[in-house]
Amino acid sequence: MSARHERVLAALERRQPDRVPTMDVMEEISNIYAILEKRPTPLGFLFTNRHTSKVIDLACPLINRSGVMDAEMDRFSYDRTAAAVKMGYDAAWVMHVPIWQFRDSKTVEDIYGRQYDVVVDDQGNLATPMYRKGLITSLDDWRSWDKRAILEMPQKANKVFSRIMRDFGDEIFVLSSFLYGLFENTWMPMGFERYVRALRTNKDLLRRMIRFYEDHYCMMLHAVAEAGVPAVVYTDDMGARSGPMMNPRFFEEFYGPSLRRIVETAHSLDMKIIIHSCGKVYKLLPWFADCGFDGVHALEPTAGVELAVAKQMVGDRLCLLGNMDITHILVDASKDEVFEAVRQSIEAAGQGGGYIIAPTNSHQTMSIQRLRWMLEAVEEYGVYEQ
Amino acid sequence: MRDLVQEVTNGVVEHEREQIVPLLREALDGGTEPAALLQAMTEGMGKVGELFQEGEYFLADLVLAAEAMKEGLAVLEPVLAGESREEKGAVVVCTVKGDIHDIGKNLVASMLGSVGFHVVDLGVDVHEDKVVAAVREHRAVAVALSVLMTPMVPSVSAVVSALTAAGLRDGVKIAIGGACTTPELATKLGVDAMGRDPFEAVEIFESFSKAAASTS
Repeated sequence: MSARHERVLAALERRQPDRVPTMDVMEEISNIYAILEKRPTPLGFLFTNRHTSKVIDLACPLINRSGVMDAEMDRFSYDRTAAAVKMGYDAAWVMHVPIWQFRDSKTVEDIYGRQYDVVVDDQGNLATPMYRKGLITSLDDWRSWDKRAILEMPQKANKVFSRIMRDFGDEIFVLSSFLYGLFENTWMPMGFERYVRALRTNKDLLRRMIRFYEDHYCMMLHAVAEAGVPAVVYTDDMGARSGPMMNPRFFEEFYGPSLRRIVETAHSLDMKIIIHSCGKVYKLLPWFADCGFDGVHALEPTAGVELAVAKQMVGDRLCLLGNMDITHILVDASKDEVFEAVRQSIEAAGQGGGYIIAPTNSHQTMSIQRLRWMLEAVEEYGVYEQ
Repeated sequence: MRDLVQEVTNGVVEHEREQIVPLLREALDGGTEPAALLQAMTEGMGKVGELFQEGEYFLADLVLAAEAMKEGLAVLEPVLAGESREEKGAVVVCTVKGDIHDIGKNLVASMLGSVGFHVVDLGVDVHEDKVVAAVREHRAVAVALSVLMTPMVPSVSAVVSALTAAGLRDGVKIAIGGACTTPELATKLGVDAMGRDPFEAVEIFESFSKAAASTS
């Protein structure tokens, strides 16, 4: 086991490593190109140009069938890992989401029933699309939804993560991720307003969807475990800025048993599993621990989450990950500000281990220089006395 | 004897969306003043706000309560048309250009409407020129801008600049909200306030309205 693996594992097990580990959080495509010093291929401009976009409108069925999107996603996940290795992180959260199909040059739909706007960044890259609405409005919609592409996901994940582990598995601790947990996979395909009504009036639909995605997630876990991945990030945004998006009692009632099964499955496959949720999650932290997760990521300072409070609440049960601000510190702060933010985070959560420093999320205006300063600062403030 | 006014308040607090419309119709048919029913619903939303701020209610509860309120207002507004309501002015609400997240924006729009503002909801991914046109057309006293992600923050600046260029900035207050917003960002962008949740937004816009009334 490499020093990096031992460092990350120690933190995930809430033991004290040699220093606070660092984790990369799904860099956006423009930063990946910059880190790898690759020239961007500005295919996105084809989607915004008023002439070529018309061609794309017509060619969408061909593009979707050609497999080019899957190939791009495979390359993207591979390059993400390569970029994290090059930056010198100890761990990388590597997302692989071959789920999108173009409806036209402006709109993407995913295999789970969500519709998004196509997003093209300043450099012409196709960036992460932006969720607009759900496409599943009833039990009939759900029953008739074509699920074949969902069932192909484990095979695709196994293929790409096998390659990633073969080429980078010794150099970096890979946390795989396949986007969307059970909560997001139930509310987003129907929209939040319709979802909260369904909590009262259409529980059958919710329970069927949750059961399906629970089984799906467990299949995904087997697929990435076979690829040799040591850990998984279960991504499910359950928090808003004001607190949990719904009563924690409902989270337990609808999702608790499924999450426990997912966590048990990951552990039975010798994988660690952490949960990522944006928002003010204080009221959910004990529940995350009860579900058996090894760690919790995001801990957003802009949502009012303080590391010291989280550490006091669940530091003996969960490894804490994240908390580095992505609205200022990792965007346009001075070097001194970045160093001070790192020092404060380590002081708040690093004591005795159980903390992995990482950005809370990613977006295209994050600064690679600030990320490098973050990593430098960890070397200065994050070394434990043995 | 049933206290239908209290039941209306409870219907909003318990976000019984399916019951609020029949309750209101029954109360109106029985001769209850529309203004009293509006007051009952507003008190219900006030209680929802208290429960939200105490951590007893969550975003999902707000969505349901706001829907109950919206459906109730649809029943009351026609019969209230002849009665005078406190005039709080128009607020232009939107999610800024490049951003299409709408949960928070919709909640703020519903809450502001429920307390008597004339809400002009421009939707999501709104260009600054549309904001300027709406402010001008509706003589808005304030603008509420929702922005979820940092890359879209320049769109807030674009609205501020466009309102300034149109000579409207001095007459209109601007508040922002959304996951990436902070008080420091509000200062940096030159807007007047930042709200953390829909109820704080209501307080902010109430204060704007009172300030405007005291100076007019």
